[in-house]
Amino acid sequence: MIPEVQKLIGQFEGLNYIVEEELATVLLLTLKLQKPLLLEGPPGVGKTEAAHIISSYLDTELIRLQCYEGLDVNNAIYEWNYQKQLLSIKLNENSDLSVVEREHHIFGEDFLLKRPLLRAITAKDKPPVLLIDEIDRADEEFEAFLLELLSDFQISIPELGTIRSEHRPIVILTSNRTRELSDALKRRCLYHWIDYPGFEKELSIVRKKYPDLDQEVSESLVKFIEHIRSMNLYKSPGIAETLDWAHSLLVLHTQHFNTEYIDKTLGIILKSDSDIQQVRTAGVDAILEEIKS
Amino acid sequence: MPIFHHSRHEGFDEAIIGFSRYCRENDLDVGLSHTQEALRAISHGFAGDVQSLKFALKSLFCKRIEEHEIFGKCFDVYWGKRRHEYAHKVSNQSRSNVSKKANASLVMMGFKPDGMEDELVEDTKSVTGDSGIESLKKTDFSKIAQIDSQALEELADQLLRQLNHRLKRKLVSRKKGRIDIRKTIRNNMSTGDDLINLYRKSRKLEKYRLVLLLDVSGSMDKYSFFLLKFLWSLKNNLKNIEAFVFSTKLIRISDFLHQHQLDETLWRMSHETDNWSSGTRIGACMKDFNEKYAKRILNGKSITIVLSDGLDQGEPEVLSAELEKIKMRTSKLVWLNPLKGMEGYEPLAKGMKAALPKVGQFGSAHNLESLMELENILASA
Repeated sequence: MIPEVQKLIGQFEGLNYIVEEELATVLLLTLKLQKPLLLEGPPGVGKTEAAHIISSYLDTELIRLQCYEGLDVNNAIYEWNYQKQLLSIKLNENSDLSVVEREHHIFGEDFLLKRPLLRAITAKDKPPVLLIDEIDRADEEFEAFLLELLSDFQISIPELGTIRSEHRPIVILTSNRTRELSDALKRRCLYHWIDYPGFEKELSIVRKKYPDLDQEVSESLVKFIEHIRSMNLYKSPGIAETLDWAHSLLVLHTQHFNTEYIDKTLGIILKSDSDIQQVRTAGVDAILEEIKS
Repeated sequence: MPIFHHSRHEGFDEAIIGFSRYCRENDLDVGLSHTQEALRAISHGFAGDVQSLKFALKSLFCKRIEEHEIFGKCFDVYWGKRRHEYAHKVSNQSRSNVSKKANASLVMMGFKPDGMEDELVEDTKSVTGDSGIESLKKTDFSKIAQIDSQALEELADQLLRQLNHRLKRKLVSRKKGRIDIRKTIRNNMSTGDDLINLYRKSRKLEKYRLVLLLDVSGSMDKYSFFLLKFLWSLKNNLKNIEAFVFSTKLIRISDFLHQHQLDETLWRMSHETDNWSSGTRIGACMKDFNEKYAKRILNGKSITIVLSDGLDQGEPEVLSAELEKIKMRTSKLVWLNPLKGMEGYEPLAKGMKAALPKVGQFGSAHNLESLMELENILASA
């Protein structure tokens, strides 16, 4: 491990984030090369969290654009506040302003609704972190537009002219792979695949978040989750579910992670009836036995 | 063929350039800009130790998780301590194996690779003549000779373009969306500032996703080649398609369908798939589909189409259960069976029997005309 990465991991840990060496290396590279980072992986493994890590590490603003099918330029970049413009025209009807001045007035910054991408580009003090979440849900047309933005970091608004970024934002894209992204977009990004965390990492995340939880209990909890993930379920539990489960133990003041407790609270980690049935058929007892041995 | 190893280069920068060439040779998509960025990464000190170098280059050179394995091998060989004498041969050998296999499967699918010109073509010429479009549309795929396939392909392409056009028109003429203030103001300028005529935003086209599962087992041999061509032209005309082939194993082929040349696509596909003309285990393949892909691919807007004759060697209960799962995730489940075109066909095969109650629509797929029925399926979705 090179010293810079080691330092970074240490700093992340100070901010209560556990980051593996590979992700830390890639994040460092993202900062150094100023290149967008594309994160892929199953749901619930902390892809979005990576953006939070960076933004709290740099102590800068996190601007998030959640993608969905039908996301268009108006919702991603900017829109004029038409209602306000109309009102303003009515109000200024009898003023002595010339036509040019009036036009200038209603197409000013006051009337501009900035959406995430424009906000990221016009950030004043320091480069913000721009998180483009679940890019695979957006349409291909939007992806093509994004390409243009990611290479130049400038946006043209017909009424105002071209707006260039003062600080190049740090861009993080996440995808659940509901579809393959275009090669052109991928070529412009660094790529990293986040998988479910290993035992050690997940345990340290639980320990970090809930230090009051008994060491032994957290170990068997994480092992149990790990076992369940290997069972080929309809929806495997992510890190968030693990943390919820750990939290539930604390809230319910339960000291023992036993069959009875697990059986009652399976709904915290499994969100589908067939999955719960599958785990019950396999036998909570049997799983507990297995992870102990 | 040069031996790729870092020790062959003088400086470290040169070694990096050599490595990106090596990766390119092994089909990783590494452009010049990537090499430059790799060099920049090195200047930032990422070459401090092997692990960091590997992680950094991996994030630069790989574009999908499937490439990680290739990259790992390349990296180990290139930056390994000892020069790997046979490094280049490894990939060569596997490539030649693959091409043998590909040729075999092309022949099997009714395709002749170069140097295998045959007399068959001569024979079939007389059969076609001016058979006319209408009869071609109605001809059973299993009875079409190779010479017709070109005409069939063109016809299929043409029909699909029309189909796509009609579908688009249907979608556009549906009701308009909410008021578009920008347009309203612009168009009402002539009335002073009173807004009289309202203009509406055109609603975003609802895109459905077509998920196709094609049976390529032995019993489907006569049809699978044409059905595959059909998938391919469908891909050209409709954007949002996911395609899979299955027999004893399920394989995703959506990425291959992106290629522009059909022959190339077929070659690449046989390169990656080795399940042509084997037995059929539909249930197990559907299970595989449910486990690996269904969550990502199926949603309320997807239409799932299974193209298979339903001759299953597996357990019918498994098939029934897995189809139920698919049905729950997708908006419509359609089964197209080429055998249905035969006179007096009844779904008696146990696989087909088990599947029928789960299927929303059961159609035939033995000629072009029956495939064009797809339009009605899509339009009513």
